[in-house]
Amino acid sequence: MTAPTQDPTRTTPAPQPPDDGARGAWRLVMQREIVTKAMNKAFVIGLLVSLGVIAALAAFFTWQGNRVDTSTVAVSGGDTAAVAAVTSAADLAQAEGGNDEIEVLEVGDDAAARAALEDGEADAWLHPDGEGGWVLSGQGEPDGTLTRFVGTAVEQRTVAANAEAAGTSVAELSAGAELSTEALDADAMGEQAMFFATFALSFLFFAGALTSGNMIASSVVEEKQSRLVEIIATAVPLRQLLAGKILGSSVIAIGQNLLFAGVGLIAVAASPISIALPALSTSLIWFVVFFAIGFLALAALYAVAGALASRAEDLQYTSTPMTFLVMGVYFLTFTASGTFLTVLSYVPIANVVAMPARVLSGDAMWWEPVVSLLILSVFAVIALLVSERAFRGSLLQTGGRISWRQALRSPS
Amino acid sequence: MSTLEVRNLTRTFGDLRAVDGVSFAARDGLLTGFVGSNGAGKTSTMRMMMGVLAITSGEVLFDGAPVTRADRRTFGYMPEERGLYPKQPALDQLVYLARLRGIPAAQARTEAMEHLERLGLGERAKDHVEKLSLGNQQRVQITAALMGRPRALILDEPFSGLDPSAVDDMVDLLREHTARGVPVLFSSHQLDLVERLCERLVILRGGRVVADGTPADLQSTGTVRHRLVLGGDAGWVRGVPGVHAVDVDGTTALVELVDDAAAQRLLASALERGTVHELSPVRPSLAQIYREVTS
Repeated sequence: MTAPTQDPTRTTPAPQPPDDGARGAWRLVMQREIVTKAMNKAFVIGLLVSLGVIAALAAFFTWQGNRVDTSTVAVSGGDTAAVAAVTSAADLAQAEGGNDEIEVLEVGDDAAARAALEDGEADAWLHPDGEGGWVLSGQGEPDGTLTRFVGTAVEQRTVAANAEAAGTSVAELSAGAELSTEALDADAMGEQAMFFATFALSFLFFAGALTSGNMIASSVVEEKQSRLVEIIATAVPLRQLLAGKILGSSVIAIGQNLLFAGVGLIAVAASPISIALPALSTSLIWFVVFFAIGFLALAALYAVAGALASRAEDLQYTSTPMTFLVMGVYFLTFTASGTFLTVLSYVPIANVVAMPARVLSGDAMWWEPVVSLLILSVFAVIALLVSERAFRGSLLQTGGRISWRQALRSPS
Repeated sequence: MSTLEVRNLTRTFGDLRAVDGVSFAARDGLLTGFVGSNGAGKTSTMRMMMGVLAITSGEVLFDGAPVTRADRRTFGYMPEERGLYPKQPALDQLVYLARLRGIPAAQARTEAMEHLERLGLGERAKDHVEKLSLGNQQRVQITAALMGRPRALILDEPFSGLDPSAVDDMVDLLREHTARGVPVLFSSHQLDLVERLCERLVILRGGRVVADGTPADLQSTGTVRHRLVLGGDAGWVRGVPGVHAVDVDGTTALVELVDDAAAQRLLASALERGTVHELSPVRPSLAQIYREVTS
């Protein structure tokens, strides 16, 4: 360096000492990745739409669950047997604890009952068929749930009357025929709820891994295609660039999943299946931890997919293995069950979904997620090391797509 | 004194020796032009100097010592076939690239804004780069290399595609850096531009240096021709031994002379035949030298 000449156009101080500030460069890279993504209109709109869909679905199911469905049954004046039958049906409905209510509407005669059906005052009309049986009439076919309750009530009353006539009682006739149910694990979820919860986990993984994975790959190829990477490479070690990109996209992916999971949990808390909340929360916490570790590996591999490409158009080829991996995990985990699911819950990447699903169903011992997480961590470390080498070996190579083999063999 | 030097720099791609034992120096305070046809090895050489391409053999020296990663962090570099982040404002990416090189954020911002204002882009600092014209994008790219008072500049085709007034603006900027003792190496296809701007010139052909020196040096080493203007027809010069007639047109002949004796013979014959108006050396143009050394 010569003595700096006086230069009126420059207000900047003396040149930077060649410090080793490149060590913290990953923070700058990470910050840029996050800010760029958060400012991206398509990303923000997609996120808001997804959150809106989750909230809307939750609201719908909650409304569906809490809605009280009242059916009115018309009975002709003075038909005490019919009134008694409908009252029994109302008791049965109430005892079941569902959302169905049944009301009796007493009208003058059969003509008035028909009129009540026609103008919608009543949903059904219970009357004798003249041959000792009963008829439940509706404007159309009467509601199935209502028919079930009224049918059971009529049957019980008739059986009781017949039993009495035969000199016995219903209790005596049906002694020993009762079947009661008992849930050994009060937290365990029903089979259908389990399926939906596992599907939700698979989908969270799929959406998070695919969108954020593609985000890191295209961010790498954008810099490679524009040769910005050559400027960056002279300023900071490529390892710092890779670390910043992986961490930046991980923050986005995990943040997105936390948002989805949070909105989902709030929805569950407000819904009739809120009893499953503790089990779901435990499982989701495991899922977030597994996802965080698993995504580090995926992000590193996706970064290599970006580095192997020369142009954005190459990405669909170089990222094909990753797409297969993510799709495979998605389909396998939400369809698997039994021993296969147990095996998957230890296979890296698949265990991101499979192990939290087993925790949710309650069939995983306490140590199982811990061991599985260790296996995933070892896999992540290996994936990071291999990817780092392939990334350095391919990022600065120009001209056409590069294979993994070439990337790992390259000296630079 | 900062000097950027390469010694016996070689790079092979398979069987191809793209850069073959290249040695030259870009000295402090000088604009050094790097010339050669496509595939001559200019870009590979520059990429090796910046550490972006692995060196097969040879070395790169800065101030006489092997160049380090920390040195290169302080170099300004403009790659070939470049681009920027299309969807990020010009100011933001200049600041980002400068901060990666260790320049504090506040300083980077001030300096980027100064540069943009100077280039007449002050009001567009917050526009996405994709909205700028190609010429303006290129000004931003050059600016990225000039941020933070670099200790050396390596620019690959910095002027391609710029209009003449933009070239002048850029050259003024580069001169400010050479004025404070920074070596500047730039490659170009535009020979007239290189001839006008450069204090020093390195010509590459097939991965080898075929000429290296000041434009004046190169002109004196090139084949010197002589112009002979006579009173009568000059056709007879074709027959004089030791004289190669490049072009004869009426009373004027352009000749190459094998030695001084040939010159004397030519002059004597001419005087015998009549009037001699002129016998003078013709300095070759850079384009002519370039054609000679690269053909």
